Parts: sequence; structure tokens; C-alpha cells
Amino acid sequence: MRLPRNAMHALLAIGILLPVVGCGGAPKKSDGRIVIWMQMDPEERLRFEKNLEAYRAAHPDAQVEAVPYDTENLRQQFQTAAAAGSGPEIIFGPSDQVGPLSLLQLLLPLEETMPAGFFDRFIPQSLDTLGGHLWAAPDQIGNHLMLVYNKALVPQPPADHATFLAEAKRLTGKGRYGFAMNMGEPYWLAPFLAGFGGWVMDEASHPTLDTPAMRDALGYLASLRAAGIMPKESDYQVAETLFKEGKAAMIVNGPWSWSGYRKAGIDVGVAPLWVLPNGQPARPMTASKGYSINVNVPAEEKQQVIELITFLTSPEAQLRDAIALGILPSHRDAWSDPSIQGDPLLKLSQVGIELGKRMPVVPEMRVLWDTMRPGMQQVMNGSRTPEVAAREMQASAVQQIAGMKR
Amino acid sequence: MILRAPRHFPYALLAPSVVVMLAVVLFPLGYNIWLSFRNMSLYHFRDHVFVGLEQFQLILSEPLFYQTLGKSLLWTGVNVVGHVTIGITLAMLLNGPIKGKVLLRMLLILPWAMPQYISALTWRGMFNYEYGAVNLILGQWFHLPAIPWLSDPFWAFVAPVITNLWLGFPFMMIVALGGLTSIPQELYEAADLDGADRWTRFWHITLPSLMPVMLPAILLGTIWTFNSTLVIWLVSNGGQPADSTHILVTYIYKAAFTYSRYSYAAAFSVIVFLILLGFVVHVLRDATRGEEARS
Repeated sequence: MRLPRNAMHALLAIGILLPVVGCGGAPKKSDGRIVIWMQMDPEERLRFEKNLEAYRAAHPDAQVEAVPYDTENLRQQFQTAAAAGSGPEIIFGPSDQVGPLSLLQLLLPLEETMPAGFFDRFIPQSLDTLGGHLWAAPDQIGNHLMLVYNKALVPQPPADHATFLAEAKRLTGKGRYGFAMNMGEPYWLAPFLAGFGGWVMDEASHPTLDTPAMRDALGYLASLRAAGIMPKESDYQVAETLFKEGKAAMIVNGPWSWSGYRKAGIDVGVAPLWVLPNGQPARPMTASKGYSINVNVPAEEKQQVIELITFLTSPEAQLRDAIALGILPSHRDAWSDPSIQGDPLLKLSQVGIELGKRMPVVPEMRVLWDTMRPGMQQVMNGSRTPEVAAREMQASAVQQIAGMKR
Repeated sequence: MILRAPRHFPYALLAPSVVVMLAVVLFPLGYNIWLSFRNMSLYHFRDHVFVGLEQFQLILSEPLFYQTLGKSLLWTGVNVVGHVTIGITLAMLLNGPIKGKVLLRMLLILPWAMPQYISALTWRGMFNYEYGAVNLILGQWFHLPAIPWLSDPFWAFVAPVITNLWLGFPFMMIVALGGLTSIPQELYEAADLDGADRWTRFWHITLPSLMPVMLPAILLGTIWTFNSTLVIWLVSNGGQPADSTHILVTYIYKAAFTYSRYSYAAAFSVIVFLILLGFVVHVLRDATRGEEARS
């Protein structure tokens, strides 16, 4: 059976017109619940639940619900929901998600929303200003790459390039490598770029990839690969597996990985990244994770949301399980707390943070990751020289940012 | 007595499914087309305006479009030809007099029964240069040099193709097997009497008899393969190395969800839609013409 032709036309017209009508939702109404969408590792989630329990104990009539997401889904789902005028009151995730979300005007500027002086309590390295506003209240700082070593094989972590290379060579052989690292992701390139005196972008967020520092950094990583101290195709998974099996003596990885190594039975030591041949240390990117507030939050819920975020970023909440999880707090009092200062791993981790540079949170950073990745991989597989790769990265970044901003 | 329903009764019965179709097919399609004529992006999220054919002009003027289109066609062609060839060959083997048919059939359907996601990631692991099963087998059993499956642009395209061949042939095999069992045995007996050899029998009986069953499957397979993001995305880890393994749809995914270029991605997908529409109309017209000629 067929629908009459004009009925088909009517349906088509409805299908095409519906979206026009469907734009613009009603303002969000308060339902007495505070919903948090968050991106956390499973272990971190347990600590978060404990914190929520503590909050509920102090506020028996508060209704707080948490929904876990992964990084990409968190941003996309929130974007869809908030643009339609709804969504959760609070989202928690990596600092760079505020780039697109603030540009889309989906977040409240927190320095205006939170009580005056609220942000003075955090260490400056944990805060990002974007467009003149603070968009997230950090509950931790980290994501910084460090040199992680197997204490059973490496008695003393190498402090400079010469000792690093000698140590890595000494430990290579008999089915083992001295070193392993993710050579396919530019996040692992960034510390070396910074160490050679460069950076991914300038103050105005223009890419600065075709620089002597980038050529030096790419050339340096290629030379490590050529030195035979690491596997030829060394991506995250390979490096991680080798290190966990004791088949790689040293690895460069961030705080999220350390407890996994310990669980795999490796006696892990952590050290700042070594000093490069130019006499400067490699400087990792640092980033925080934090709470942001939905622009659609109903006025009558605002106070409760502010209280909840204040609690979740308090020293009490930040110090809970911090040592077991290897998470560095962002609150000044927690940062200098004796328990953190007394933990050798976290104490060294703090040195890494102090050496590090903030990862930019502007949306352009996404383009930069995508344009640095090919160049880095091409230098590693030998199909480009560092000179050509750096030039192509820059050209592609400029072009793609222009495309994104159209 | 004949029960008579009012004339609008069939429409009432259809209404729920029409509503669902409207919501999940026509609405997104319409919205997508509408979006492709605007400039919605990260920087024009709330204030996007009508820009006419600007997005289409931009796409068609980029060399990238033609490169990824070429790669898409190659990807689809190699995969579909591979799926059909392997599928029909295995179906004929299974249809013949061999032992352990049930077990074999079960084993051959396995790739299909596994979640694609898991298979693709497992294959990615197996393609590792130094520790992957593929290179270990090549090296230790066949004494061949190791292949840089994931870091060389050529092999990085071959690797997902192999994975997708492995994932896709069971479907064609099952369809072909169904088709084979329905071919009347008398045709082969008659051919035997006429002294036809195996090849002639395949070419003049098996293949033409299979075509009516295979054609819709091939059509489906082509569209699925053309639009399949998962395998190539996972095996090549998002277009690695150096974005050299993108096909059209993986590129669209990236434009929309990494760069938030919504209208650009929408226009891109309208183009892909038109390409596929053209293909389907063309094939169906050819097929009906062929059938009319035969009957």
C-alpha cells in the first residue's frame, strides 16, 4: 500500500520543518535534586562516592546524584543537553573541556558565581583563565608525565640525557628494553618541546609549531628510537604492557598509571623528566580536573550547588585516599598537608608539577593535537625529517584552525 | 458476511510506525539537510545563519575530499569483492560433501558473532610490529621480514582491510549458503548429461541462480562497508598514521565531533548520502532491467 502522494509531501515537510520549530527549550526547572555528570577512573569514583556520603551526612535533606561518563561523551552529551536548556547542574572533568563549553556559553563564570575570594584557596598552577573568566573549580592537579622506573632494575633514576642513555643501553638486551614510551601521541612530545624552549601556541593562541624547538624535540625523540633502547612500534599499550611485565626498565607516564604498575607487582619509582642535551629539563604539561556549573542551573538551586562544590574541593575531600590514588590536591592547605609532604611519590610528583607548564584549554588545542600527531608519527617511522614535519604541522594547524573558526 | 473496516483504518494502523519513522529517520535526515545550508560550528553555535551552498563549495574545493573519496571507494570495493568471493567459495565448500560440516559452519560464523569492537581491538594488537601475532607468524613460520602494519601508511590501510574481510565474510557466506541449497539439483544433472565441466556449471548455473539472493546482500554490504567507521577507526587508532587511513565517514566523524564543525560535517554527509543514493538507484535499475530481459 502506498500513501497518497500529497500525504508523503506533508510528511516530508513536517520532517524538514520540525527542527526549525524545535529550537529553543524552556528554561530548566528546579526538581530539588543536584545532578553531577562526571568523568572519573573507577578508583577515583569510589573516593567520590565516599565524599558524597560525607556530604549527605552533613546535609541529610540534600539530594545529590552522580552519573559517570567518559571524556568525549561527557562533553558531547552535556553540550547537547545544555544547549537545549537542560542538563545536569554540575559537570566534572578535565580542564580542557571548558574550552568549547565556555565558548558555547553553556557554563557559568565561576569567579562571579562562587563567593568572593573563593579561588584564592587554590594553588595558582591549578587554575585556567579563559576569556577573562574561571570556568572550573579544581579538585586536583596532575596529568603530568614523569619518568617512571622499575626499582628492581634502576637503582638511581637518571637525571640527565647522558646518564639516561647510558642506563637505558645498559638495561637493553635479553628480551628487555631500557626504555619504552608512547611515541604516537603528541602529549608525550610536549615535555620535550617545552624543554628545548618551545611551546605549542603563543599568548594569542596562534600555533607555534614550526620552530627550532619543535625540530629539536622531534629530532631528539627520533634519536632515542634509533638508539635501539626502545621497541620500534612503541605506542601506549605496548609501552604499558612491557613495563608491567618488567620488560622495560623505564617509561614516561602520568600519575593515572602508577597504581596500576604497583598492582602489577612492579616496585615503582618516580622522578622528574631528565635534563635534555641543551641543559634544560623536559617540562611536562599539567592539567587539573574540576567542577563547572551549567548555565541553566535554576536560581533557587544555586546556593546548594555552590555549597556542594565548596565541599568537594575542600581539603577534607581532596585528601581522602589521595595517597592511595596518587592524586595531588589543588587546595593550598591540602597541597602542603603533612600527609602529602610525607609521601615520597607525591612529594616527587609535586616537583614534576612545579616544573610543568599548563596545558592550554582553548579549543584550538584540539586541532593542535591532531596536527602534531601525524608529524610526530611520520618522524618516528622515518617518512619525514623533523624540518619537514614541523613545517607541515604548522601549515596544517593554521589551515584547520581557520576552518574551525569559519 | 464480510467485515468492513472504515477506509482510514489502514492508515490508523500505520500511524504509529509512521510516527517512529518520522522521528528516527526523516527528522534527522531533514535536520541534517537543513543544517548543511547553514554555518553552525563551535564559533557559530547559537547564531548560525543560512549560507546557501558555501559548505558544499568548500568541501568540493578541498583536495582532501577527493583523496578520502578515492580511499572510500577502494575500501568498499576491496572489501565487498573480498567478502563475496570468500563467502561464496566457503559456502560452496560447505555445501559440498565434506565431514564436520556443522562444526565448520559454526567456526566460520564466529567472526560475525564476536562484537566488532572487540575484534577490531584484538586485531590491532595482533598487528603490532614486534609483539603482534601476525608478524610473529610471518617471521617464525614463513621467514618473512616483519611488516610495519600500523606505522606505514600503505600497510596501515591494509591492516583494517584484512580485519574487515575477516569480520564481513560470514554474512555473505550465510546468504550464499541459503541460495545454494535452493538451486534445484536437476539443473546440475542436466548439465552433467550435456557434458558440462565444473567451471561451466559454476558459471552458468550456480552464479546466475545465486544472483537474486546475493544482489540485495551485496547492495547492503556495499552501503554498510562504505559507511563503516568502527573497524577502520579502531584498527588505525583514529586514522593513524598521519590521518592517512581516513575514509569519508571517519573524516566526517572527526569534523563533527572533534572540531564541532556541524554544518560542514552535515554537508559532507549529504554528499555521501547522494553518492550512495545514486549507486543504489543505478544498481536497482540495472537489476530490474536484467530481470525483465531474462523473463
